[in-house]
Amino acid sequence: MSDDDEVLERSVDEPAVFAELFDRHAGMVHRYVARRIGVGVADDILSETFLVAFEQRERFDPSLGSARPWLLGIATLLMKRHARLEARAWRGMVAGTAAQIVPDAIELANDRVDAARMSRKLAAALRSLPARDRDTLLLYAWGDLDYEGVAAALGVPVGTVRSRLNRVRRVLRAAAGRSADGEPEMDHGRVDPAPQRV
Amino acid sequence: MDELTLLRNACSDVPPPSEAALTNARAALFDRIALEVDPGARAARVRAAGRTRRLVRHRPWRSAGFAGIGTVAAAGLIATLVMTNVVGLAGWRGGADAAAAAVLQEASIAAIRNADPVIAPGQYLKVETTAVYGATVVDEDGTAASYLTITDEDLFIPADRGDEWIWLRPLSRPYQTFGPESERFAAASWESVVAERGEDYVERLRAPGGEFYGSPNLNDPESLADLPRDPHRLLNYIYRTTIGQGPSPDGEALVWIADRLRIGAIPADLRAAMYQAAALIPGVTVTEEQANLNGRTGIAIGRLEGANGLRQDLIIDPDTGLLIGEREVLVEDPGDSTFPVGTAIAWTAVETSVVDAAPAGGTPNGALDDDGCTSTGNGSFACPSS
Repeated sequence: MSDDDEVLERSVDEPAVFAELFDRHAGMVHRYVARRIGVGVADDILSETFLVAFEQRERFDPSLGSARPWLLGIATLLMKRHARLEARAWRGMVAGTAAQIVPDAIELANDRVDAARMSRKLAAALRSLPARDRDTLLLYAWGDLDYEGVAAALGVPVGTVRSRLNRVRRVLRAAAGRSADGEPEMDHGRVDPAPQRV
Repeated sequence: MDELTLLRNACSDVPPPSEAALTNARAALFDRIALEVDPGARAARVRAAGRTRRLVRHRPWRSAGFAGIGTVAAAGLIATLVMTNVVGLAGWRGGADAAAAAVLQEASIAAIRNADPVIAPGQYLKVETTAVYGATVVDEDGTAASYLTITDEDLFIPADRGDEWIWLRPLSRPYQTFGPESERFAAASWESVVAERGEDYVERLRAPGGEFYGSPNLNDPESLADLPRDPHRLLNYIYRTTIGQGPSPDGEALVWIADRLRIGAIPADLRAAMYQAAALIPGVTVTEEQANLNGRTGIAIGRLEGANGLRQDLIIDPDTGLLIGEREVLVEDPGDSTFPVGTAIAWTAVETSVVDAAPAGGTPNGALDDDGCTSTGNGSFACPSS
């Protein structure tokens, strides 16, 4: 079994080899996207991610070894496009789609984690983060990338990843701390056709 | 528990990709790889790529019920569609059954005969939409239940479609529940929306060209004008645009048509072409002779998607060629549905008229403006945290 970088290098002249990468990483890409924006859109992003990756395979940096950060970086970019499309559908003409679109899964974190009250504040804090900080955090926490991986995925220096994560964790800690004062829990699992914040 | 552990645990129970999703994605990749080997086919693909993607109605239960044979057949068809990109596939594999085709042909002729009303400068095309759609909620215990919500929206389209459109959007309220859990979820959701907005809240939007929320308008005249009016070419275009989406290309093609028709602003010639294109889709039948939707009666034409047990219907007034609405009916339980079989899990009824005036007020981003959100470009917004 050859490493991702070898598969990618060979695929430049033998395109069919690229399919091997799909079998290796499709599940991982899908899971990351599904956690962020829902299973329905994840199916599409999964497909698009590998199409884009195939088209850009010559640009892969072989020093990375694993294709994971690269693929997750592409998926993260594609999700931005979908966020806009989601916003359009959510607020747009196709009203029927609206209630069925899972908002950024962070909102659903309300229902799923054990510390429901804490997560409410946490979710609010996450939503208010700049997109680049949220991407950094979720690639780290949900994409299971290390600092170098996140840096490769987003195309920024490792030091930037480190400072972003430090900053974000401070914000989250502060938010979670404030939540301990027992705000009553309600609206669990709300799927709200009213304003969507992307 | 620290904040990172909490986050790592959040949403960790997402289901793995369905077999169908993997098959479709793999097929799309293989097709792309094949095109690399055949540069002649590349130009065709580049033209087909990069078009605006329709948002798939997210169905929480659709991951179940895909069987091997259907999946393989779908992948094979997708490959065929790519291969025949230039020649086109519409009409080669049969089409709607004779009765449905006849109804659609008649509706198409009626649509052209009953030309669209003329909207004079200063007047508006008013589109009244009643939309019902399903919400599925999972609570902390993993209990899943679904309910339906309803809303009545009014859209005012100016004579010059580049001028300001106005859109009034009241809250979606619970419409139908299915058992105590469903009722509880529906009530909780409604209470929280009312607490935030007030029961009588109506979101008011106003934006040139209908570009609400900083997003492009699916109905903009240019993109509608670009669509082919020849039914074969239109259907081929739809197949190419939706390739790889939905459980089957034929099902997705009919959904694509329904998505556009339900907006209520499709010009008569394009509507006629869409009916004729629907008549070319295999599996389309007359599903109900006297279908009632929101108090109006028409003929329902539809197609059952075997993979998810959903039937997409168009309900057409055969005399005028006008679309009364569309609906998705759960005909077979794919295994884990939280709706009872027979439920119309989403429907839209549309009615259009010409009016002399539109309501005042409204902002480009409606409730987002009310909430003090600021645009960060490209349809994204940053909102003050509550």
